[in-house]
Amino acid sequence: MDREALRRLEKLNQLQLNDEQKEDVLAFFADQYDRIDKLSAIDTEQVERMVHVMPIFTVVRDDVAVQPFTRDQLQKDAPETMDGYWQVPRLVE
Amino acid sequence: MRLYVNESSKADGKRVVLDDMLLTTDLPTTAGSKMLENYVSLFEADIISKLRNAGYSVCGKANIGEFAIDLLGETSWFGACVREDGTLTNASAEILADDSIDAVICLDVNGAPRRAAALANRVFIKPTYGTVSRYGTIPVACSGETVSVMAASTAKCREALSAIVGHDDKDGTSLSEAQCALLKSDAERKAVKKVALASSLTASADEETKAKINAFRASLEAQGITVTEIDDQLLGAANTAWNVLMAAELCNNVSRYEGVKFGYRSPNYTNIDELYTNSRTEAFGDLLKTTILFGSDVLSTDNYMKMYDKGLRVRRVISEAFAGIFKEYDAVLMPACSKCSYSEADVKANKYIAYEENVYTAPASITGLPAVVVGGVQLVGAPFSDNSLLDAAEIYEKEHK
Repeated sequence: MDREALRRLEKLNQLQLNDEQKEDVLAFFADQYDRIDKLSAIDTEQVERMVHVMPIFTVVRDDVAVQPFTRDQLQKDAPETMDGYWQVPRLVE
Repeated sequence: MRLYVNESSKADGKRVVLDDMLLTTDLPTTAGSKMLENYVSLFEADIISKLRNAGYSVCGKANIGEFAIDLLGETSWFGACVREDGTLTNASAEILADDSIDAVICLDVNGAPRRAAALANRVFIKPTYGTVSRYGTIPVACSGETVSVMAASTAKCREALSAIVGHDDKDGTSLSEAQCALLKSDAERKAVKKVALASSLTASADEETKAKINAFRASLEAQGITVTEIDDQLLGAANTAWNVLMAAELCNNVSRYEGVKFGYRSPNYTNIDELYTNSRTEAFGDLLKTTILFGSDVLSTDNYMKMYDKGLRVRRVISEAFAGIFKEYDAVLMPACSKCSYSEADVKANKYIAYEENVYTAPASITGLPAVVVGGVQLVGAPFSDNSLLDAAEIYEKEHK
């Protein structure tokens, strides 16, 4: 991980770090990479991935449309709304 | 210590507090983050109706660290919970000093409430994954996080757990009613007779913590339970794998917070990208930002196989290692954290201390196994052995009343 790769990660995740934070995060990544390298001592070539810790199967429910909330309820915590829509800056000039 | 108090809760009867990862419709739910400072949910956690049906009233919410991934709660936007002597604690553990509170329901994402219970000498159970609904909890690391109970005694812990256990159609990871019922019946309740002591995890803790392990061991041995040291090197790998999986899941789960539909919106923007970036940058703390970036990195094309895929495979290796141990033993005894107290200076010197302390909590988190904390130590058991673990905890509790 270098500064350029970190810059790409910041952009991808819509975050911006200052110089001090960047140094700190790069040191953290280096430490985690070392630890992850040590996992290679565990042979997992023939081991299946374990996504669920318990034997869980996909739940299929009846396809019934429900509308539990009104537009006003859904927008009550919105930072900005206008005429019943979420308001954001102009996207297309 | 920041708490929300529900004035309408009944003063008499059984009372619970929820930690701030559980959604409530009459009190804010903040996840300890500036991002959700004034957020009030439209729906509530499934366990709240189960608690009400069992006669509990919810009397308040307890502050937690930002998205519950830190050591004890020190990263909360609303401030850490610090004792007069400068040591860190957490609101869930401290509020139990009030005898009128029967239990605190916590979301154990990354071990913070488990550690807090160990440090404050509370009883804690992280039940078998899937036996308590996660519907209406703020999602962070869904494949391992578990709604859990902290209380002042084993009996109160058991009673509150029994109230919230049960299948929930709204939670896709909820186990069947028959499986959940195993925690309410004596079917899987077998007396703990043989306990394995995780030797290297115990050796890595400080002397005071080792003394607690020895005291717990002595209580068990006095009742004829054998305690045998085992080689636990493999369990140590759970930490690295869990940190990878936890960060990856967190990265995806917190991508929803972007300042548009709800939550904090930065006043500093001229276009949509600045709105997203400045809102997230201004609202999120350092530990959360680093974990998002790490999670994104382990899922990247370059690292996916080496890191995330490897983490999933190591999870199975750890799970099978536990299964092997449980063929011979009824539970594994280990510390819940490396020390008996942490100061603000400790977390300032190492803001990633939770990533290291997870070595004690990750084995149960990554496998979904039940874990009980009592007397400052941790017992991990096979799936559905929750009541057996609490029985073993009771042995210690009776001797140290």
